[in-house]
Amino acid sequence: MATVAPAKKKNVRINGCVAAAQAAKYADVDVITAYPIRPYTATMMALAQMVANGELDAEYIVADSEHSQLSIAHGASSSGARVFTGSSGVGVQFAYELYSPISGSRMPVQMMIADRTLDPPGDFGSEHTDALSTRDMGWLMGWSCDAQEAFDNHLMAYRIGEDPRVLLPQMVCQDGFFVSHITTDCELPDSGQVKEFLPPYKHPYPLDPRHPVSHGPQIMPEQGPPLQLERARAMEGAVPVIEDVHDEFARIFGRRYDPWVEEFMTDGADVVFFMQGGHAVTARHAIRHMRQRGANVGLVRLRTIRPYPTDRVMQSLSKFKVVGVVETNMGLGSVSSGGSLYAEACAALYESDTRPLVLSFMAGMGGEAIVLKEFYWMTQKMLDAQKRGAIEKRTHWVGFEE
Amino acid sequence: MATPVEIQRQMLPMLGSPNQGARFYNPDLPETEPFVPGHRTCAGCGPSIQYRITSKASGDNTILVGPTGCMYVANSSYLCTPYNVPWAHTQIGSAGSFTAGVAAAYEAMIRKGKWKGPYPNIICEAGDGSASDIGLASISGALYRDHDCLIICYDNEQYANTGIQASSRTPYGGMTTFSPPGPMVPEAKKLFPKDLARMMAAGHPHCYVATASVGYPIDLMNKVRKGLNHKGAAYMMVYTPCQKGFVYETPRSIDLGRLVVECGLYPIWEWDPHTREYDYSFRPDTMRPVADYLKLQGRFGHLHAEHIATLQQFANQQWRMMNIEVPEALVRAADPSAHVNMATAEAAAAIAHTV
Repeated sequence: MATVAPAKKKNVRINGCVAAAQAAKYADVDVITAYPIRPYTATMMALAQMVANGELDAEYIVADSEHSQLSIAHGASSSGARVFTGSSGVGVQFAYELYSPISGSRMPVQMMIADRTLDPPGDFGSEHTDALSTRDMGWLMGWSCDAQEAFDNHLMAYRIGEDPRVLLPQMVCQDGFFVSHITTDCELPDSGQVKEFLPPYKHPYPLDPRHPVSHGPQIMPEQGPPLQLERARAMEGAVPVIEDVHDEFARIFGRRYDPWVEEFMTDGADVVFFMQGGHAVTARHAIRHMRQRGANVGLVRLRTIRPYPTDRVMQSLSKFKVVGVVETNMGLGSVSSGGSLYAEACAALYESDTRPLVLSFMAGMGGEAIVLKEFYWMTQKMLDAQKRGAIEKRTHWVGFEE
Repeated sequence: MATPVEIQRQMLPMLGSPNQGARFYNPDLPETEPFVPGHRTCAGCGPSIQYRITSKASGDNTILVGPTGCMYVANSSYLCTPYNVPWAHTQIGSAGSFTAGVAAAYEAMIRKGKWKGPYPNIICEAGDGSASDIGLASISGALYRDHDCLIICYDNEQYANTGIQASSRTPYGGMTTFSPPGPMVPEAKKLFPKDLARMMAAGHPHCYVATASVGYPIDLMNKVRKGLNHKGAAYMMVYTPCQKGFVYETPRSIDLGRLVVECGLYPIWEWDPHTREYDYSFRPDTMRPVADYLKLQGRFGHLHAEHIATLQQFANQQWRMMNIEVPEALVRAADPSAHVNMATAEAAAAIAHTV
């Protein structure tokens, strides 16, 4: 096989799907497992071509279902290989059985999610419900808002998940189409930088005939609590590792992210949007515009939802008068009868002495773009609540009300 | 990319006297015991006998994958494991896929110089519920993609671990808790078993496929070794009686493993991926009527004469599929008038009511 020279740093224009594929290539993954479903498929198409071109030496397995995809990933990670997989929408759900076994056996499998609305009906649009529904299964999870951040998050997630103090799988999520299929500027690093940042994967107890171990034996009920506690501690233990890895990333690559929340124009803000993912890019434009018109609005974008940065969210959101949660997910019959992010925000604020009013906005549902005028409308609702000192109602379905 | 490392594959030698060795000392038998005592399977458990024989044949350079089933729940107990080789549980529907992941990992890691040593023997031990029902697609995927591994269906013809429920491998007439006999369904299980091994051979002709029985342990060991020596995917379906579900006297597991073959209900054959032909050269010592096998098991204790005749017709078809001429006595046994109802048959009565 031809030897490919180490990549030099270069600027490219790629979409979120290709950025994820590039990250997997830079991470020198050993096993890739694919099954087609839009929109994440483009990631696997890119990787298939890299393997075919000899740019990446990896086993590329076309699985027979998403359930098999995740099982293959589980088996390969258990054997000591660095693994990359992914899915969208109902595909994420089809593999649901495997999420707990993979985190429970502490295998740092990485999964790329390009969100897609769940059925019914068949809708290609993006909603975060697919990945969010798995949020309590012991996977590290967060959303990227553009291709560069997706690339960076994929690399950081490997480093965090494979850390011996963590050993947890990672879902690196991006909005279908809004991030996955929109081309933006992206800097690809020098492979030497990646080598410095990301050490080779070494699981402490792989399936290796020279050192026999048994993975996942049957337990008695009384043996369950300590194992669950271990997994909970791993999730908590990931917090300082995530912070260290973000610092290390900034040192080597020169791009610094707050690991938990991005605050945009929050200085002097009375009302803020609280949201995840690609719609935040539109929100930033809307906020700049509304600031010029005198509205004190800002943005708090959640970058990591598992482990959930409770204290950071409380500290951040407590500074404001009104918080508008932009859901982009379905929480049918939930606390707010809207999305599930509302409950996450409110729970973090419960212990705060200065609790803001909280609204839930059902926007971007079914993969609709959240357009500027909808951000203006939502801002007005928040300003009205601020003026009134009370909310009109918990949940607003944007586009269905005056 | 670095120059790929060539993968070293070990070849395991064949053992002597394939058909007849069971009751005699065989000097070729490996001493290694990758599956050791200390598990919690029932006395006389067919699957665990099979597990021991199989892992002895594959040796210490082995990785075992155990989808949910008896051989997961009863074998592995946290803080106590009967495996001297690496073993991993996987989900019941993940038999082929998890195993494929292990195989792919070793292909990649050895090739990329990340792991040094000969390619391990990768064996998946799936029960018939996993292999014929919920994990069928995952196993088909692994065979189709030709990962270098051996997938074994240890066939106890039911979901035994969950308390004896019908699977696609449960025979016609077999009583289980999901297929009980009653006035409306006197024969209990109405459907004939899925012809799983032939389905795998027909659908994945590039694979080594074989059937075996714990009644013929040397034959079983040699087939395991052939499957492992075959570069690519191999599949075996092995008859492993379950005394709890079949309801028989515990010491008779190996006897049943022979009787089921002798009465034609479990055809023993190999599929040669090179010639693309079945090899039917394995012949039991004798051919018997199915009643000889049925009457030892409580799960058939409810059968009427016509049901026994139906099973004899099925057995005769199996013989003919192997190009074996059916003796006149067995042709006659396919007629209901040749039988009496099981419940009134003296031989069955003692066992039939113990379920």
